[in-house]
Amino acid sequence: MAAVYAQAVQTLIDELGRLPGIGPKSAQRITFHLLKLPTEDAERLANAIITAKARVRFCEQCFNVSEDELCSICADPRRDQTVLCVVEEARDIIAVERTGEFRGRYHVLMGAISPIDGVGPEQLKIRELLRRLGSDTVQEIILCTNPNVEGEATAMYLARLIKPLGLTVSRIASGLPVGGDLEYADELTLGRALEGRRIVD
Amino acid sequence: MSLYRDSGVVLRTYKLGESDRIVVILTLGHGKIRAVAKGVRKTKSRFGGRLEPLSNVSLLVYEGRELDTISQVETIDSLGPLYGDLDRLTQGLSLLEVVDRITPDREPVPHLHRMLVGALRSLESRPLPLVVPAFFWKLLAAEGVRPELDVCVRCGEADNLIAFDMNEGGVLCRTCRTGTPISAEALRLTRMILGGGMNAALDEPVTPATAEVRHLATEAMEHHLERRLRSVALYERL
Repeated sequence: MAAVYAQAVQTLIDELGRLPGIGPKSAQRITFHLLKLPTEDAERLANAIITAKARVRFCEQCFNVSEDELCSICADPRRDQTVLCVVEEARDIIAVERTGEFRGRYHVLMGAISPIDGVGPEQLKIRELLRRLGSDTVQEIILCTNPNVEGEATAMYLARLIKPLGLTVSRIASGLPVGGDLEYADELTLGRALEGRRIVD
Repeated sequence: MSLYRDSGVVLRTYKLGESDRIVVILTLGHGKIRAVAKGVRKTKSRFGGRLEPLSNVSLLVYEGRELDTISQVETIDSLGPLYGDLDRLTQGLSLLEVVDRITPDREPVPHLHRMLVGALRSLESRPLPLVVPAFFWKLLAAEGVRPELDVCVRCGEADNLIAFDMNEGGVLCRTCRTGTPISAEALRLTRMILGGGMNAALDEPVTPATAEVRHLATEAMEHHLERRLRSVALYERL
């Protein structure tokens, strides 16, 4: 088929089409929306992408996304230096931060052990985690990986590695979501919720 | 488009879009299927927890053109015991990897399904070191590449069998020897596994021969699949 659109339009459609969750049709829709926008609005978007790409990198200590050498959490002296929360991805930090329950610092593994996909402990930031434990004032590690097979394997692997260092190693609880129905809870979740029950006072 | 019931073991999952997953399941009646489980990555999902790899579930599935859609799930065997133990978990995952590689899509293989469920159940109830190697050998035999263990594959000699060669597909005697050496004890265990004495072989005390049988089984499986098994590398390192 001959090219229907001008070259510049086609390039934009192709580039947008490579974004996650955007198919050729949505790419086309967004392209035409962008073309209708005032020039300054489109430039603002373009600049936002360029600035983010240029400025954002990984925190040297915890591998969170950051604009400086250390991310805002690692650089904050008011944060509890004794507790470290280990998460899979940087976006998990945002989820934990939203709870407002945690005042310690983080460590991002950048993935989880998944033998079937060929991701082993070497591909994760585990060596860096151990180095932090060696020099830091950390006393407790909270394993905050996803409660699925990969996350669970990662948590158990880390526990086995860290326990001998004499630190407290804890795993986040799993149980029923607030607003959920007991009737529809699966056996494993409900079983774990019972196992991790607490005394009401 | 129709609705069907089946039972199966979840082999692996892929993320799909924002909150869905594609689940690969070895079912009893429909072979290996790929099905979409909608919304399972959300915390309020009604069946997300049942569709983790290793779980044996009973399913209600909408048949689609390429991907099916899962509509209901009930647990048959919970993977609870495997979930809390790193060694058993990685052993279970290595069974899944092999089965996923070996089975074709949408072709019923009830004997494989039965073997997998059996092996996972024994990992749960009696996590013995020979469960995975025994499964590998049995699977190879079911695939039609059962090794020759009784006589030398080259000259037919029945004594002094001291080597095992993957390319030859069996054991070799002292004069014809090529491949890896095999001890008399490891040979005895492998014969037991393939000769109908699997349960007795599993109950044998752990000796250096156990590790030998394990290596040999992994090597034979990798030779057959013509690729490295990633999950085995992980559990052998632990």
